[in-house]
Amino acid sequence: METLLAFLTVFSHPQLLLLVGLGTFAGVYVGAIPGLSVTMAVSILISFTFSWDVYPAISLMIGIYMGGVYGGSRTAILLNIPGAPSAIATAMDGYPMAKRGEAGTAIGVTTVMSFIGGFIGIGVLALAAPFVSDFALKFQPRDYMLLAVLGILLVGSLSTGSLVKGIFAGALGIAIGAVGRDALTFTERFTFDLQIMEGGISFIAVMIGMFGVSEALMQLHHVDKTAVRQKISRIIPSMSTVRKHLPLSMQTSTIGVIIGALPGTGGDIAALMAYDHAKRVTKNPDRPFGEGAMEGLVAPETANNSAVGGAFIPMMTLGIPGDAVTAIMIGALFIHGLNPGPMLMVDNPDMFWFIVGALVTANCFMLFFGLTGIKLFTKIVEMPRSVLIPMIMLLSIVGAYAVNNSISDVYWMLGFGVFGYFMRHYGYPLGPVILGVILSRLLDDNWRRAIISEREDMGRFFEGLFSSPLSTVLLIAVVLIFVSQTPLWTRAKSILLRRSPR
Amino acid sequence: MKRIILGAASALALSLATAHAQDYPSKEIQGIIQWGAGGSTDTVMRAVTPHAEEVLGGTVVMQNMTGAVGAIALNHVTNADADGYTLLMGAENPMLYKIMGLGDKDYSEFTPISILARGTPLLVANVDAPFNDYAEMIAYVKANPGEVRFGATGPGGLPSVVTAMINTVEGELDVIAVPYDGDGPALTALQGGAIDVMPAVLGAAIEGVRAGNMKPLAVFDVAENDKLPGVPAVSSFNAGYETYLPWGPFFGVFAPKGTPDDVVAKLSDAYAQGAANADFVELMDNRGFTLMGISGAEAEEFLSKWQQGTAWLLQDAGLTKSSPEEFGIARPGE
Repeated sequence: METLLAFLTVFSHPQLLLLVGLGTFAGVYVGAIPGLSVTMAVSILISFTFSWDVYPAISLMIGIYMGGVYGGSRTAILLNIPGAPSAIATAMDGYPMAKRGEAGTAIGVTTVMSFIGGFIGIGVLALAAPFVSDFALKFQPRDYMLLAVLGILLVGSLSTGSLVKGIFAGALGIAIGAVGRDALTFTERFTFDLQIMEGGISFIAVMIGMFGVSEALMQLHHVDKTAVRQKISRIIPSMSTVRKHLPLSMQTSTIGVIIGALPGTGGDIAALMAYDHAKRVTKNPDRPFGEGAMEGLVAPETANNSAVGGAFIPMMTLGIPGDAVTAIMIGALFIHGLNPGPMLMVDNPDMFWFIVGALVTANCFMLFFGLTGIKLFTKIVEMPRSVLIPMIMLLSIVGAYAVNNSISDVYWMLGFGVFGYFMRHYGYPLGPVILGVILSRLLDDNWRRAIISEREDMGRFFEGLFSSPLSTVLLIAVVLIFVSQTPLWTRAKSILLRRSPR
Repeated sequence: MKRIILGAASALALSLATAHAQDYPSKEIQGIIQWGAGGSTDTVMRAVTPHAEEVLGGTVVMQNMTGAVGAIALNHVTNADADGYTLLMGAENPMLYKIMGLGDKDYSEFTPISILARGTPLLVANVDAPFNDYAEMIAYVKANPGEVRFGATGPGGLPSVVTAMINTVEGELDVIAVPYDGDGPALTALQGGAIDVMPAVLGAAIEGVRAGNMKPLAVFDVAENDKLPGVPAVSSFNAGYETYLPWGPFFGVFAPKGTPDDVVAKLSDAYAQGAANADFVELMDNRGFTLMGISGAEAEEFLSKWQQGTAWLLQDAGLTKSSPEEFGIARPGE
């Protein structure tokens, strides 16, 4: 009974309900602007809500978080500029739809699917949090490394056209991610003794440059062309569409929850992995992936929103943040006099159920705000290019500056923008670059941790690998996915298929 | 929005008039936090500053500036005008930049506004580790060289100093140091069994210890900590530690050298009163931090003593890039 009351706290207090709604609304717009991140918004809110009670403060933060994760898809679909790293995969099929004038449909599907994904994440949080966090703790450095390798193999599905060019782009991304003072040994890497390189290259600056500025430059080619008129008659997807994609969304939500619950990986990796998964399991998409396949929207959007619930799992059960936003929320709970940690669930179970309740509310608000106001948003793409292009440039600069309040990030962003333009021009895909940057440190740090733990002995490393079921399963997955992308696989399949009828 | 811009513009106009303590602060003060959002420096600064603002009658806009182990934030503030409108909110690391080859500046370029609090290191182990206290751990490590995994956070971090202390007092121990980027991730790895032992600041580990998710081995202090009764002080196992303890990381607010004395005094007073606020005191106590609230000559003396002790400890353990001597850091007691 008390649990239920705690769960319903948000609904029974109009003020909290309002704050969650306000947060979600603000989150959708903060999330939509590249560079303005949820992490930043929430950390500003800590000071802002300092004198408030803990419930209103958390309500507002949760609203922003939920709305922000979803909001990143808006600009991804409409302008091909992901508002957040977790919306990179969304741009790949969302933007082609907008180019055909189906932005309304794309946003509608995205919203409903984000809603479903969000609910699955919250459901797992509410029902199975202790189990999932136990599982997440089992991940050893070598498992994170294998996970990163699994991620690197996505290069295949993110490259449209030449695989060699995709691999080149991915490798470039890994190199960019390695620049700066190494966090483990504090040694300078690829800095050429320049002070500007010491802090590393901001990943967000690379992303904004590569997607935002290069897109603006591409659009300059046809500055006089009239914009595509968007059909917005049918926004809410039909029941049959939802039902058709339900099995896929269940699978990708599971990916989202688990990747979200792992400390050290978040919605961005989850969304990319889910996209890859969709590409693998969807036999006959209505349209090919990369040209506006509905599945290419469903997968990343369910995954990144279910990762929200996932990220709360280790936070609530162990006091360990599942991602950057939950790390700040732990700080907020601490400031408000609670002691976030494994004892929070025991000392203060109401807090847990209150957060679950607030997440549910935020998810519902997200659906509401997502489905309204689309008309206004689609107007953005219908604007003449002479207005749109400068606007993209302006947003990109503001966003890149806002990340760390540093002007050098703006220069990086512009540099990568021009570079990205030429990459596109010569048919190099940009997705793998970002993938490389995201995974660079995960791969590198955990490989080093894994091998240092084994006294730099390869024999002991493999012994450990095969003595843990989790590592073995991950290794098999890596090998299978790798082989499935080589001609060996097709040959093996044809031999097997020829044999089976007999 | 328009009003904010207008406000900013008028603040700018006001600041053109020479800064004077009477009208200080006449515009927003920028507080640059050396570490990322959600970290312990960030949390402490965001918790104390609103109380200090009340005393000060102005606003301090806090901003996280991360990168290069905090050196980017430090350089940013040293390059700012010494007018009291740009403050550095940092931890102990800059005191080791020089000897670690991470930079050529440290807190000697700053006037301490307030050294707020100091943390106590705690040695924790995975619950399944085959030892239950500090003495058993030392015995186990000696019997099984090269088997026990210690968590680390890079050269100059708290674990490296504590490990150097152990090596100096107990003689060289053969352990594997696995690097993590912060004590949070390392303590997570400890609970998952990726590492066996982790020297961490008490505040970061206390909740895990309370829940029984990790085993406390010893408090790195000369006396037990009242937050963790029953966990022995490491000096009770080996009196050799008394030379180096108490030692701990600290948090402080700093202004660039050359900031007018009356401005420094006003800021110091504000932070001293802010840190005395009951809410803040309780919050720090919950996390096992020892409140210090020192400024002026007392703070300068604390800083130089801290630097001497730690720098030479690391130097003797062979962990430094260049000798403290090169920077005029005297050996303690000399």
